Amino acid sequence: MDALSEVVSVLYQFGTNAVFLLLSAIGLIVILGMMNIINLAHGEFMMMGAYIATIATEHGSPLPVAAFLSFLGVALFGMILERLVIRRFYGRELGALVVTWGISLILAQGALLLFGPYMPAIAIPSGSFSLGRYSFSYYWLILIAVSIILVGALWLIYNRTSFGLMARATMQNPAMARSLGVDVEKVYALTFGLGAGLAGLSGALLAPTTSIAPFMGQQFVAPAFITVVVGGGANVIAGAVGSSALLSFVQTPVGLLLGTFSGMVALLLTALIIIRILPAGISSLLQGRSRLAGAR
Amino acid sequence: MTEQDAEKTPLSGKSEAGSTSGNDERPRGGPVMDRRTLMQGAGAAVAATTVLSRAMPVRAASDEPVKIGFIEDQSGNLSIYGIQKLHAAQLAVQEINDGLTLAGGPVGSGGMGTFGSYAAQPPVEKEIGAEEQFINDGGPQSQKGMVFAEDSDVLIKSGDTGILGRKVQLIAPDGQSTNTLWQQLTRRLIQEDKVDVLVAGFASAEREAIRPIVDQHKQLYFYTNQYEGGVADEFTFCTGAVCEQQVIPVMQYMVEKYGPRIFTIAANYNFGQLTAAWVRSFAPVLKAQVIAEEFPPLEVSEFSTVIAHVQQAKPDWVMTLLVGQNQSNYYPQAAAAGLKYPMASTVNMAQGYEHKRFKPPSLANMHNAVNYMQEIPTKRNQEFVKRFYKMFPNDPYLGQMAQNTYFSIHLYAKAARLAGTTDQQRVRKVLEAGWAIEAPEGSVFLEPGTHHCSHYIRLAKADADHNISFVREWPMIEAWWLQRLGVNLVRHPEHKQYVPDEDPFFKMFVASK
Repeated sequence: MDALSEVVSVLYQFGTNAVFLLLSAIGLIVILGMMNIINLAHGEFMMMGAYIATIATEHGSPLPVAAFLSFLGVALFGMILERLVIRRFYGRELGALVVTWGISLILAQGALLLFGPYMPAIAIPSGSFSLGRYSFSYYWLILIAVSIILVGALWLIYNRTSFGLMARATMQNPAMARSLGVDVEKVYALTFGLGAGLAGLSGALLAPTTSIAPFMGQQFVAPAFITVVVGGGANVIAGAVGSSALLSFVQTPVGLLLGTFSGMVALLLTALIIIRILPAGISSLLQGRSRLAGAR
Repeated sequence: MTEQDAEKTPLSGKSEAGSTSGNDERPRGGPVMDRRTLMQGAGAAVAATTVLSRAMPVRAASDEPVKIGFIEDQSGNLSIYGIQKLHAAQLAVQEINDGLTLAGGPVGSGGMGTFGSYAAQPPVEKEIGAEEQFINDGGPQSQKGMVFAEDSDVLIKSGDTGILGRKVQLIAPDGQSTNTLWQQLTRRLIQEDKVDVLVAGFASAEREAIRPIVDQHKQLYFYTNQYEGGVADEFTFCTGAVCEQQVIPVMQYMVEKYGPRIFTIAANYNFGQLTAAWVRSFAPVLKAQVIAEEFPPLEVSEFSTVIAHVQQAKPDWVMTLLVGQNQSNYYPQAAAAGLKYPMASTVNMAQGYEHKRFKPPSLANMHNAVNYMQEIPTKRNQEFVKRFYKMFPNDPYLGQMAQNTYFSIHLYAKAARLAGTTDQQRVRKVLEAGWAIEAPEGSVFLEPGTHHCSHYIRLAKADADHNISFVREWPMIEAWWLQRLGVNLVRHPEHKQYVPDEDPFFKMFVASK
């Protein structure tokens, strides 16, 4: 019984660490991985999603509904932002970096001015279960299931729907796609909106585990970028899944044996080594085995 | 497709067909501005600056406001603390300009003590609507002992408007939770704005980043935050609580009530490491033992590994020294994972108001030895809380560091009045007169040799519904550690921070385990 609880504890931590990385990254997978926009406002999109979910739950809606509202709200905001601002920076990566950084400052300070330094948190639903001398909260298991579903849904959208086909075509060769009748502007807007909406959704999902404050987005930015860059651009979805699994696979045992700090150091060292050996990310290893979105 | 027709697409910088010549990032045409325009513009700018600065009339000394330089984090990870402190500073400046001051001086105010009856248990407070109310007053008054009358009129007329007839102005830039920016802002406040006093600093890292600059310019500096102790600096006055005033009382209570096995979780920077060293060193004195420690970095916000460690170690209670928004996520995550150990802290609840931010029972059984919390039921504190919320009705909490800032600024005003000038070196000497000031927490004494304050310490406990009660009190605990180290800044000026390793006492107990 003791050995079983130890094994479950290790697996649980592995899953939790991996899910944290994956959920932080999922919005950025679309925007950075597919559209190649260095979105420094990613943390603030997640913050907006968390705020929308908090306000919705305060008015009595259950968490799934609130999460869906966050998705819609931030997606809409993303599409408007794309049309007004981001569109002018296609091809200019450094320009996009600076303008999204400016947007992140505006959003965070705006939240501070509008809502004050904090909002009451959402209680983590579903309670806990215990096994041996450990006890675990159900919510992370729910999050693991939800993120698997989200990744699956993203894959389905990009590979089995006509929108996905058009999006992949546009990313590969916009001029040709346009000449074949694809409304390229609309694809960009929808793709950016999807990425923003996913960021908002994951912000809403992670909101119960964290405190709701204007600068909460900053805790997700570094994990998100590390996960997406280590995953690489050849096969963005599989890359991000693979990198969050791999990084968590290194972080968890080191963290268990030597402490959380050493776990973080191990994660960063691993990311460093992978990027040095495989500059195009680990998905370049998987390239050629599938035809997922963003293949260049 | 020619280069001129290169389309604006997200990936056009990396398109397979394109080469670098199609890259939109390279500027087109020649330089943006030609040399002539640049020289004309520069000449105009220099002329304008000269004219403007010469046009300033010389102002009489009494028209110049007294400038208080105030740097806090109004944005970033530490902003939940910085904004409270800023508002408390603004309240203090307003009161000084309105001709008010806190009672106190080189002699304390004193009050009547007498025999009386009191209840066996402390009262339990809950926030109902906008006010703290007692939901349980502790039972019948069955105990007899000494009771002390509290002087409630501590905000009195100063007989002055502002300081020595000059208005007080608060110059408050935003440190943005970034240490390098703090250094730039400190230089700017000292060299350009020429502030008469600098009141700044939340995190110990921020204080240590700016203290060398303060020392270099001999700037009078108040650090109003609680911290790990040890700063012996002739220009610095630390008015916050230190380890011997917080760590030791709370450890004593927890070991007595819950047992000797301690698990420490501390933020991984100078404050967390040094305070954890105090816990480790003091445990043997109490016949307790730190069985394990964890030092998560300030950026970590996901604590499943730490929670598993705690469950593995099975302590009697957990010492949490978590700082910043990211790290306060430990509480809801631990509660959701079913972790039920009693907790003690010296930082949480009183400054980050976790008991208000997180849903019950995340902070159940949290104990903190504090010099101030908004919930203190004395009349002088309730008046202070009312004044604060009258000026800032939308603020979520009034915490320990905000109160420290408030009375420190009033203390500076009193010292400047006694000195008859705002000359920094003279005010510094006058601050060593042995001041007692009637702060909202109680009577606070600024000890001349160590530049630290003795505080009224109360042990706050949060129950499962996050109601607060103060289960033990120490009316005056001195900041005695620097005295034991032999620090006397009046006789021997210094500019350093002592760490526990330099005190042989710590080694004595750690060695004889």
